[in-house]
Amino acid sequence: MAKKLLICDDDINIIEMLEIVLDDTPIEIITETDSKKVFELIVERNPNLVLLDLWMPVISGDEVLRQIRESEQIGDLPVLIMSAAQDGKEIAMRSGADGYIAKPFDIDELIAKVEELIGMN
Amino acid sequence: MTNPTDLPVSGNDPANIKLLKAALDSSISGIIITDNTQFDNPIIYCNKAFEKLSGYSREEVIGRNCRFLQGNERHQDARGAIRRAVLKGEPITVELRNYRKSGELFWNELYISPIKGDQDQITHFIGVQNDITRRKNAEENLIYERDLVEQKIQERTRELNENREYLDSVIQTIRQGLLVLDPEFRVISANYFFLKTFKVEQRDTIGRSLYELGNGQWNIEQLRTLLEQILPTSNPVLDFEVDHEFPHIGRKLMLLNAHRIELEGDFKDRILIAIEDITEIRASEVRKDDFLSVSSHELKTPLTTIKGYNQTILRLLPADINPKIHSMVSKSARQVDRLHNIITSLLEMSRIQSGKLVLDLEPIDLNVMVGELLDEFRESHSSHVLSLQGQIAAMVPGDESQIAQVLQNLITNAIKYSPDAREIKVILSEVSNYAKISVTDFGLGISMEDQKMIFDRFFRVSTIQKHFPGMGIGLYICSQIIKQHGGTLWVDSEPGKGATFSFTLPLDKERKNG
Repeated sequence: MAKKLLICDDDINIIEMLEIVLDDTPIEIITETDSKKVFELIVERNPNLVLLDLWMPVISGDEVLRQIRESEQIGDLPVLIMSAAQDGKEIAMRSGADGYIAKPFDIDELIAKVEELIGMN
Repeated sequence: MTNPTDLPVSGNDPANIKLLKAALDSSISGIIITDNTQFDNPIIYCNKAFEKLSGYSREEVIGRNCRFLQGNERHQDARGAIRRAVLKGEPITVELRNYRKSGELFWNELYISPIKGDQDQITHFIGVQNDITRRKNAEENLIYERDLVEQKIQERTRELNENREYLDSVIQTIRQGLLVLDPEFRVISANYFFLKTFKVEQRDTIGRSLYELGNGQWNIEQLRTLLEQILPTSNPVLDFEVDHEFPHIGRKLMLLNAHRIELEGDFKDRILIAIEDITEIRASEVRKDDFLSVSSHELKTPLTTIKGYNQTILRLLPADINPKIHSMVSKSARQVDRLHNIITSLLEMSRIQSGKLVLDLEPIDLNVMVGELLDEFRESHSSHVLSLQGQIAAMVPGDESQIAQVLQNLITNAIKYSPDAREIKVILSEVSNYAKISVTDFGLGISMEDQKMIFDRFFRVSTIQKHFPGMGIGLYICSQIIKQHGGTLWVDSEPGKGATFSFTLPLDKERKNG
């Protein structure tokens, strides 16, 4: 069964680019630009890894991450944070992320991190 | 004439006259006799001393009234006194301004004695004259000196007043609240800006304890402890921040500095407190930081997309593609990286300037890090041959991405500024308790004058400005990053012979923090 990756970023361009970048991997991609809907979507689709942006309107990535960590159901779900914010790594680690990648990233590095956290190696 | 008994010789002996005349000529005082029975009271006798004193010879004097000695000053105060004494027939001593024949002024102390005849009428006057010019001059000098001293005192007093007013106006104009406290922390004086800042008056302030001012805003345990140490230790209180809801002015962030006034005497043991409202400055710093982090975030976001597409395009290009296309996409990708570096540099420079460069310290294996970095450079820069020598056995605590950035910058510069030399050497070594990394090129080199300034912000070597564009912030950031790590970045170079940039990093954390 294919591993599922859920990507949430408010910038549709990033989502479109990631879909193409990850196109030749066997990973199934689920995308969402509205962070308000992402928690429910995670519960519903049960992905193996969530790739979250940090600075998103209304609900930021670290808040989504906190919701996940506080949830009994999906508290252990691996989460990879990506951000262009200077203090992104600090926020990600503080909020309990499993990994962090700074934007703009090298796609090989991104793919390596995704594959590692999703449990493909 | 009677026969006076006190004459040296008895009777009318002419020897008496001769002796008396000799006596008169021996006198050091000028003596004249005037005949009051004749018209205009003429001089009928003068002795030798008078001739010497006045400069006139006997022939020139006899027959004249004495007033000629006064030159043009015929209305001297002493004349009235003389006239009154003459009328009463009494002797008098006066001081007159007289003139010698040469025209030179002299002060004449004149004793006038009237001689009376049988009917009590005045027949003659005897004038005894002494030159008191020296004494008068001394007196006048004394008066002059006294006036001068008086004048100087007045001038000094005026200067002191002016100085005080000047300092006062500086203190009153300065845009910082100033308080002077006595050793019990009672306010002795407050400047205008203090009163204005806190919207208070002198009477709310002077004579009161610092800790009672306002709503007890300065009554902070930690501040009290610091202030109490000022007088015994002379340690100042520096940049103490007080974030408080002040009466009249609301919530403000105040910066307080306190120093002991290092003077003896009247001003001994006083404490000077300077208070600055930094609410706005801090707010604008925060706004600037926010602006920079938001704008860099917004700039990096589209770069992420472009970089991702560039890399994917390169990966998807068929092997037999026109090499020009491959080259163009590669170059485009490199420019994206460059743009990213510029954004990062600007952000970091702002952080360095505001002292907010945060180091993410982790043990780094410099051998691996440098090796990987060189591999990347070899791939993208076939124009140069990069060699690596030596190694560093220990792990070095540092912020890997920042150290990598420094090294990247140094290697990029080495390549950029040695267009005609191929070799770039990177040397790793351990020196004492430091790791040392050197990057050597054999290019243009840097003059001694420029070497002093290349680590400054926005400095670019003028001779290379046109041919090698750049912002001139790279080395500044590098040196600041290395400094924050507790190391040093320096350069050895000679124009035309290339340059070696080296930096050190402390091998153990304790050392760095100490």
